Parts: sequence; C-alpha cells; structure tokens
Amino acid sequence: MKKRIAGRFTVILFVIGFMSATQYNTVNTDDSRDYRDTWEIRQQLSREKQVHSELLSEIGLLDDTLAKYSDKATQDPQAVLKDTVEDLRRSAGLSQITGPGIELEVSPSLEAVALGSEITEIPPDLLIRLVNEINRFDGIELAIAGERVINTTAIRDINGYTTVNTDPISTPPLTIAITSKSMEEARKLYSYLSASTIHEDFYIDDLTIAISEPQEQLTLPAFDEKIQMGYLEAGEGE
Amino acid sequence: MWISILGLLLGISLGLLTDIQIPAEYTSYLSIAVLASLDTLFGGIRAHLQQVYDDKVFVSGFFFNIALAAGLAFLGVHLGVDLYLAAIFAFGVRLFQNIAVIRRILLTKWSEKKKLGEAN
Repeated sequence: MKKRIAGRFTVILFVIGFMSATQYNTVNTDDSRDYRDTWEIRQQLSREKQVHSELLSEIGLLDDTLAKYSDKATQDPQAVLKDTVEDLRRSAGLSQITGPGIELEVSPSLEAVALGSEITEIPPDLLIRLVNEINRFDGIELAIAGERVINTTAIRDINGYTTVNTDPISTPPLTIAITSKSMEEARKLYSYLSASTIHEDFYIDDLTIAISEPQEQLTLPAFDEKIQMGYLEAGEGE
Repeated sequence: MWISILGLLLGISLGLLTDIQIPAEYTSYLSIAVLASLDTLFGGIRAHLQQVYDDKVFVSGFFFNIALAAGLAFLGVHLGVDLYLAAIFAFGVRLFQNIAVIRRILLTKWSEKKKLGEAN
C-alpha cells in the first residue's frame, strides 16, 4: 500500500516538476528581436569572415614556426630562434626595414612663402590626422623625419615643439617615409593619398604635401630608443 | 519519500533539458495547472497523515482540479472576466490550509515523540 502511495506521489511530483520547468522555459525566453536588415547582417558576416581569415593566417604562421622547430632536418634550433627573434624585432619596429614605398614631402605652401608668413611647426593634431589616414592601410611602416613610428609612439606638443617619440621634429620641409608590403600596395597608397582630403587640412596651416612616385627600395630607420614596458613581465619558461 | 523527490527532480530536469516552450497565451493555464497539482499534492499528503488517504480521490482530484482550473481560465478568457483569479484564490487558500494542517500534525507527532523519549 505504502509503495503504491509513493508511486502516485512520484508521478504527480514528476508532472508538477515538468510543468514548472516548461513554465520557466516559457517565461524566461529572451525574445529580443533582431531588427537588422539583410544588408547589416551581411556586413556583420563579412566582418566575422575577415576576423576568421586573419585568425587562420595567424594560425598558419604559428604552425610554420612550429614545423620549423620540430623539423629534424633543420637540426639547428638556434637559427630558428634567431629567425623568430628577428621577426619579432621587425614587427616591433626595432630593426631597419627596406621595402617598396612612397615618400611624402611636407613643405610650406607657395602662398605662405610668397607672402613671407612665418613658417611654423606642423601641429601635432595635423600630423596625427595624417598618420591615421595612412594607417588605414594594413601592413605599412612609417618614419616621420627620421623617427620610426611604432605602436607606442606619441606625437605631441612638448614646450611648443611638435615631437615624435619625444624628439622634436624639424620645421617644414620634412620627409615622411612609408613602406608597404608590396609595390602594388605602395601604388594603391599613392593614389589614395593623392586623392585624399588631407591636402586641404594641410593647406589651412599653410603647408603642402608632395607625394613621390612609388619606389622599389625605401629604407626606414630602426626605432632607436628603449621601449618602455612597465606592465609586461617575462613569463616563466617551462 | 525520497523516490518522490527523485520524481520531482526528474520532471524538472526533463522539462529544462528538452527546452519545451508553450505559446505565451497559454502560460496562465499552465501556471494554474501547476497550482492545482500542488493543491492536490498537499491535499494528498494531509490525507495520508490523517489516515484518510484514498487512491481514487487523490488521482481523480489531480486531473479534475487541473481540468476545472483550465476550464475556468478558458471561460474567463472568452467572457472577458478574469475567472482564473477565482481558481488561483481557491487553490491558494486551500494550499495554505492544507500546509497548516500538515504542520500541526507533524508538530503534534514530534512533541509526542519527545514526550515518549522523556518518559523512557
């Protein structure tokens, strides 16, 4: 008898639990609707695809390095290590780099010279704007008046002087050298900058930019200071 | 007793895992059904403690209460009067009464046991 009662209660409790869970599911569904149209979803998709391909190429690169390390034929892990260090130094901007690129010559505008107005420093804001404009392109390296621009480079005003990496740059004329991955990229950058509205921004400050034709061999100096890494520490090796 | 709780857990996990959803319009029916079944459950426990438990009453009460509550809610929707509130009120009151009775019975049992222990 007792067993039968327990059985009944079990069945009833099972039904209660099931109904409560169903109610919970129904009440707690997040029915936030997706209001994006096809075009926005496509854009999102293309962004994700880009991230995907970037990740894939990174994985490929790391796999390459790994294969080099484990390759018995190489027999020289030192050389591979040196390669890796050299790669890292290059991507950090610590080594000289030579490649196809273009040169920008910033100089006082003809009107300013003719009217005899004072030639002032190029304002940091304008320089930052130019750098941002150039940085739209992937895989480029640049040096402003012989100062290599790396990830931590600051372009700012110190005591009235426009500085790059805390070194004052000369008053115009000055040269900005840009290297890119290939000649084709350099040509693209050349036509992009030729048509850019940055010329007008410079003209307001009595400056003009002359863009040289893409060159096969352009050399950028290395970043010559110590990189400050206050928050980075060496990891424990295995 | 433990097997009953196991049944409850099984029901909840099955419901959550299968991720069954019902249309939003029917949630009031389901909540009333849950309430009705809880009422039946506590009624059954009380009857069991009072030694008047009857299998037929228990099982038929379970289904009949649910059907009645759902029917009342359905009628209420079609008449434009919130009749399901009547069901909620009735079940709520009965639920409290049943639980109160269960509590008293358990308390009495407990104190009797204590007295027996002291006497020994």
